[in-house]
Amino acid sequence: MAAKKSSSEGVLSRVSSTISESPIVYRGKRAASDAGFVAKKLLKSTGKAAWIAGTTFLILVVPLIIEMDREAQLNELELQQASLLGTPAVGVPQKYGSNGVKFKQKQNERKQQQHQLV
Amino acid sequence: MATLVPPPTTPPPAPAAEAVKPEKVDYMDLPCPIPYEEIHREAMMSLKPDHFEGMRVDFTKGLNQKFSLSHSIVMGPMEVPSQSAETIKIPTANYEFGANFIDPKLMLFGRVYTDGRLSARVKCDLSENLIMKANAQLTNEPHMSHGMFNFDYKGTDYRTQFQLGNGNLLGASYIQSVTPHLSLGGEVFWTGQHRKSGIGYAARYNTDKMVASGQIANTGMVALSYVQKVSEKVSLASDLMYNYMSRDVTASFGYDYILRQCRLRGKIDSNGCTSAFLEERLNMGLNFLLSAEIDHKKKDYKFGFGLTVGE
Repeated sequence: MAAKKSSSEGVLSRVSSTISESPIVYRGKRAASDAGFVAKKLLKSTGKAAWIAGTTFLILVVPLIIEMDREAQLNELELQQASLLGTPAVGVPQKYGSNGVKFKQKQNERKQQQHQLV
Repeated sequence: MATLVPPPTTPPPAPAAEAVKPEKVDYMDLPCPIPYEEIHREAMMSLKPDHFEGMRVDFTKGLNQKFSLSHSIVMGPMEVPSQSAETIKIPTANYEFGANFIDPKLMLFGRVYTDGRLSARVKCDLSENLIMKANAQLTNEPHMSHGMFNFDYKGTDYRTQFQLGNGNLLGASYIQSVTPHLSLGGEVFWTGQHRKSGIGYAARYNTDKMVASGQIANTGMVALSYVQKVSEKVSLASDLMYNYMSRDVTASFGYDYILRQCRLRGKIDSNGCTSAFLEERLNMGLNFLLSAEIDHKKKDYKFGFGLTVGE
């Protein structure tokens, strides 16, 4: 009887302590803290990656899109003007193609002159 | 017995074969190669525009067919080399006055800066095949002035260059066209001041659509580059620089869009550096420049804008 009583007094506390100190709960807590640590790191590194990707996209791609858009607008305008004035549409891209080549040629000439003397 | 489709007649192969006959290479009539120092020219022009930080205004006024004056104002932070890892930037402002005389046979360029520097360049055609170039820079600081003479001789399919500079610098280079597309060259140099000598080799292969070039020097530098012209307006370039003495590798990849109103060059590097350079033609003789450079590793951000007035 006495043994039963002494064992029954600590039953609740013993049960709760076995539960809280059991290896399963211990492992679960450690896994939760690891998961939290990893999640925080992942969030930070995703943030960093998003920042790098975002600023690189802004510098490399956005001016390109803007300039290509302007080029397309200019083409459309010329096509409209060509059809208005009645000049054949075939002639137009060639004329302005050579203008672009002139811009590049002038740049190339200037750069070549500078490079030649370096 | 389903209806059989009659076999298609084979088209005559003769015209195609005749059109594609390769031209016989005339080894006595090869084109003149690119000068040795410009072997990486396409890659340098596409990948290395002159990025700057701050504001830059250039004004060029032609007084004559041949003579022009130029004024230039540059304001912005300049990097000062420092011992610590951080870059120190000091805001400076500079005015530069220059005069250019351009003649088919003689070209003279002179520049004077507000910080006391004077630079001069001369290019003179002594005869049809012999070109002399001279280059000098004088500064206020002692021992920082230097000058250099170059003599270039252009043959039918080769070029040679002899270089003479202060500080006992001697150099010579030779480049030869081996096939209509391939040219090979080498150079040697000797500096008396630092008692160093070096030898290097270079090769360049170009077709209408692409240029591939490589250079190796005994100072440990290996530079390879490849430029592909994807269309009339677009070309892509890539470049690898490897120093086998200091085990330093840098690879970069960039694009070059030449549109009617603008020229846009963008580049990304293996050092975590991305940059872009835009030159936009606002009007006849008026160009607007924008330059951006972001270094993610060192967290160094440089942005600049500028205006170029005059032809």
